[in-house]
Amino acid sequence: MPPTGQPPPRRLSETTLAAVSVAIAVYLVGLILSIMGNSVSGSSALVRTLKGRLFSPWLAPAWLDLGFDHPLTYGRPEDADHLIDIRVSGGAAGPAETLRLPGTRQGERAARWRRLARRTALAAIEDAAAPLAAGVGSGAFGPLEAEDVIVRVLRRPMGPRADAPTRPLLVEAYAARMRRVDGDLQLIELGGEARQSELAPVIPPADLQDGDEEASP
Amino acid sequence: MTRTEPTEIVPLASSAAATWLNFWFRPADARPLAWVRILTGGLGLALAASYAADLDRWFGPVGMIPPATVAEWSGGGSRSLFLLATSPAGLWTLFGLLGLALLAVTVGLFTRSACLVAAILWASLLNRGPMLAGPADDCLAVLLWCLVVGPAGDHWSLDQLLRDRRGLLTPAASPWARLSLGLLRVHATAITVAVVLAQLKGDTWWDGTAAWFLAARPDSQLIDLTGLYRRSEYLTNLVTHAIVAFEIVFAGGLWFDASRWYLARAGLVAWPLVGLLAGEPLWGLAMAIFCVPAAVGER
Repeated sequence: MPPTGQPPPRRLSETTLAAVSVAIAVYLVGLILSIMGNSVSGSSALVRTLKGRLFSPWLAPAWLDLGFDHPLTYGRPEDADHLIDIRVSGGAAGPAETLRLPGTRQGERAARWRRLARRTALAAIEDAAAPLAAGVGSGAFGPLEAEDVIVRVLRRPMGPRADAPTRPLLVEAYAARMRRVDGDLQLIELGGEARQSELAPVIPPADLQDGDEEASP
Repeated sequence: MTRTEPTEIVPLASSAAATWLNFWFRPADARPLAWVRILTGGLGLALAASYAADLDRWFGPVGMIPPATVAEWSGGGSRSLFLLATSPAGLWTLFGLLGLALLAVTVGLFTRSACLVAAILWASLLNRGPMLAGPADDCLAVLLWCLVVGPAGDHWSLDQLLRDRRGLLTPAASPWARLSLGLLRVHATAITVAVVLAQLKGDTWWDGTAAWFLAARPDSQLIDLTGLYRRSEYLTNLVTHAIVAFEIVFAGGLWFDASRWYLARAGLVAWPLVGLLAGEPLWGLAMAIFCVPAAVGER
């Protein structure tokens, strides 16, 4: 039979109270700096240095170096649904030669693939998508039984509220070719929205000044 | 000019110290923590399950997220036990351990150790593939670390059953329970404030169109509200402003005795609803778990 009595409340010693108080205070400073330092708006050099040197080394491995910067949406193109399309380079793009992710997956499982696609598209804006695309591309060699594939990140744009209700067509946000040649992996970035915006606007030659030629496509 | 006398500072300092000690260390009942433990374990199992089917495809020896990609993504600083798993057997052993730890958290078996193992392995899994992590994953990590601190297995657990069989007394109110509950409340506020600050940087949350953009994602939407929003701009605006208003009131109101209970109960409904609208239902549930201690009347 379970005992019915209850012992008196436990108390902590003065030393424990002091030690835990210091630990809480330090953690709270780390929490505040993490929120300030992980904002999409960027952060000051002071906050970055303090957080990076004093807090990130022990907060990041515990997955506590978080900004909780979840606006849910800003209504930007990057906030739309994204997916990954991988196909054999030069193939007929039949079902056996194409891998679409998340494909038929549902719920959080699908959301993880959408995040990977979206983060690749976001990285492409900063010209930093190559490592992600290389990983995804080389990981698709096995399932597609090919060592030369095209990785594309596709976006389903969000139309304005006033538009007629139609399922929007997919837009290519990023594309790269991944292949293995003589055992070496090669990534060739092909384009996508981020690359196209680098080319525009086209400036008429008459408007070019000295040195501008380097910047033109 | 008035000068502050040292005698005035002493009571002020002792009052601040008393408030600090009272908030963090006044012995508290651990039952609310038991609720949080059960729900966190369930959420953890659901989130871990979402990794299971694609685990090899992501993290296997020829997976799509090789260690080199993670190293470049995180600037070379990623530390994860899963990076040590170079074979499918190793990967699945670690993942199985995580599943077992989360199951042990849910049923309350060797609870504190289980929470610690689950928190370490969950953080490791997220660090292995940071580009896959979402807001619910972040919240789960925080919840698990908060549970490590407190006696979450004192009630409604297999640990309690085993203790009863051995004729041991039910543990009394504990300062560690208070510490854990305090951390939960601080994080509920911190997360909500960060979300509000992030939202208010965007025009869509001011011009009232954010609800539309949340709904206009056909692949991630759970309920199709686009038809309703198309018919009424005011409804779109109302939903957008209601989300922000709730978040602001929630973050502030948790700190007042008079409003805490009501807001926490409202949070149990409102957060899952926001999660549903945002296409992040598990994040909504995670935020609702933060509300549980105040909603069940932590003392």
